[in-house]
Amino acid sequence: MARAVRSGTRVDTVLLVACCVMGLLATVLPVNLREAIAGGLRRTVVAPLVSLQQQAERGRSAFLSREATTSRLDSVSLRNMQLARLETENNRLRALLGLARQLEWGFVSAEALRSFPIGEDHQRMLTVGSNAGVEAKTPVIAPEGLVGMVLSVDPTQSIAILWTHRDFAASAMSADRSAYGIVYPHLSDSRTGEDIPPERYLLELRGVAFRTALKPGTQIVTSGLGGVYPAGIPIGTVLGELQTSEGWARTYLIRPAVRPPDVSNVIVLLPKRIEGQSLERIWRSAASADSAARKIAAAGDSIARRAAADSLRAAEAIAARRVADSLARAGATAQPGGTPAQPPARPGAAEAPPAPRRADSARTVRPDTAGRGRRP
Amino acid sequence: MNWTRTARAILAFVVLVLLHYTLRPLLGWRTPVDFLVIAVLLSAVRVRPGAAALIGFCTGLIADSLTPSAFGAGALAMTGIGAAASWLKAVFFADNVVLHGFFFFVGKWAFDIVYVMTERRMQGVELATQLLLWSPLSAAITAVAGIILLLMLRPVLEPQAA
Repeated sequence: MARAVRSGTRVDTVLLVACCVMGLLATVLPVNLREAIAGGLRRTVVAPLVSLQQQAERGRSAFLSREATTSRLDSVSLRNMQLARLETENNRLRALLGLARQLEWGFVSAEALRSFPIGEDHQRMLTVGSNAGVEAKTPVIAPEGLVGMVLSVDPTQSIAILWTHRDFAASAMSADRSAYGIVYPHLSDSRTGEDIPPERYLLELRGVAFRTALKPGTQIVTSGLGGVYPAGIPIGTVLGELQTSEGWARTYLIRPAVRPPDVSNVIVLLPKRIEGQSLERIWRSAASADSAARKIAAAGDSIARRAAADSLRAAEAIAARRVADSLARAGATAQPGGTPAQPPARPGAAEAPPAPRRADSARTVRPDTAGRGRRP
Repeated sequence: MNWTRTARAILAFVVLVLLHYTLRPLLGWRTPVDFLVIAVLLSAVRVRPGAAALIGFCTGLIADSLTPSAFGAGALAMTGIGAAASWLKAVFFADNVVLHGFFFFVGKWAFDIVYVMTERRMQGVELATQLLLWSPLSAAITAVAGIILLLMLRPVLEPQAA
């Protein structure tokens, strides 16, 4: 028993001493041998533990960076929202370009600024005035249709009322000319029918002959009567009939073609363009103001495509000229001994002669790539 | 030998090693809990000093494989505290939480001292700060964690009969 205890103690001592010696040896091993042993352990026994540690540290990093990630996500979302707004604005400007192309003459384009941001949202300050030929009571239009009318004019700016303004009125008709009336802003909901919710941003077509019934969806355009608005500018579409006390005429609720929040860039028609001119052909044969706007936008796209093609052709011509010039210069420098220089190459990179090779150009070829061309 | 008890002890050892490589980096404290020291100490009191030294050496070598610059320091330190814990286990036979906490505290501090001295990387004020401030703090946290783990693993880790 005592011998067994002594033997066990001896084994313990031997193991302890051996472990201590190996530990000390490990501390004084050469670096490469130490790295080899450590690497072997890392690749075998410790590999799962290292993987666990990496995942834990990754989880901690993700936890710590969650706020930064959230704020970054917010920034990206905000930028995305701004991009959507820019895209909308871009589309509107392209549509405006298309409308300008359709109008051809007798108009000025302008920015419509919100001059009364609080309370009064039925007017816009336009960035053109009498210097540009704008006069009072000239119509203001957008690609979708009628926006309003110029109220007062200064030399460099003017104030226009939108169709939501209580003083707005326009002589209107159905697109098929079967019904005529006068369009006013829909200010009161007391006469609203059961199926039509009261909304501020709607229009009313009043004074339509009782015998004429308009179906919902009928397009309403300006009639040209009265001389303020030329005929054919889309105003909106019929939503439904309003119940009124008048027995001799009908009143219809109109969904406007132009939304006031979208009014940012507009076109002001000049007086000469209004006199006896009809704009029906611009929005003619369009089933709705939306499809007309799409067509106008498509016209804007074609303008943009044509402009892009023109700019591309110009850039190609410039590049060809540069190539020709550089080739001419290179020819002049390659023949320094009074030999007349090569005539300038014609524009067009494909037709240009190859540039003279420098005598030391072989040095710039990499040795590993120089031989590749010689292989069959 | 009671194989069930041995298997439980091995299971607890493995769990502690896994905690060292998962929970410790997840917490990321400046004074981290050393689950490897707890594992070696809890194993050492259940085996003979020679086996405890071997367990400590292997565990230290595993830890050293991730720090090749201090290769061997951890193995030497773990060997020392494993053997010492096994030889001194009679002192801690009493199932006293405070004694166990003190056991973990001394074990971790001793490990740090041996490790830092063997590593020979720190000098002067840095060495003193490490050994007199950060090491005791880490030892204290390790002791607290060791007590909590001991209470949680008590059904698994029953002390060996005298």
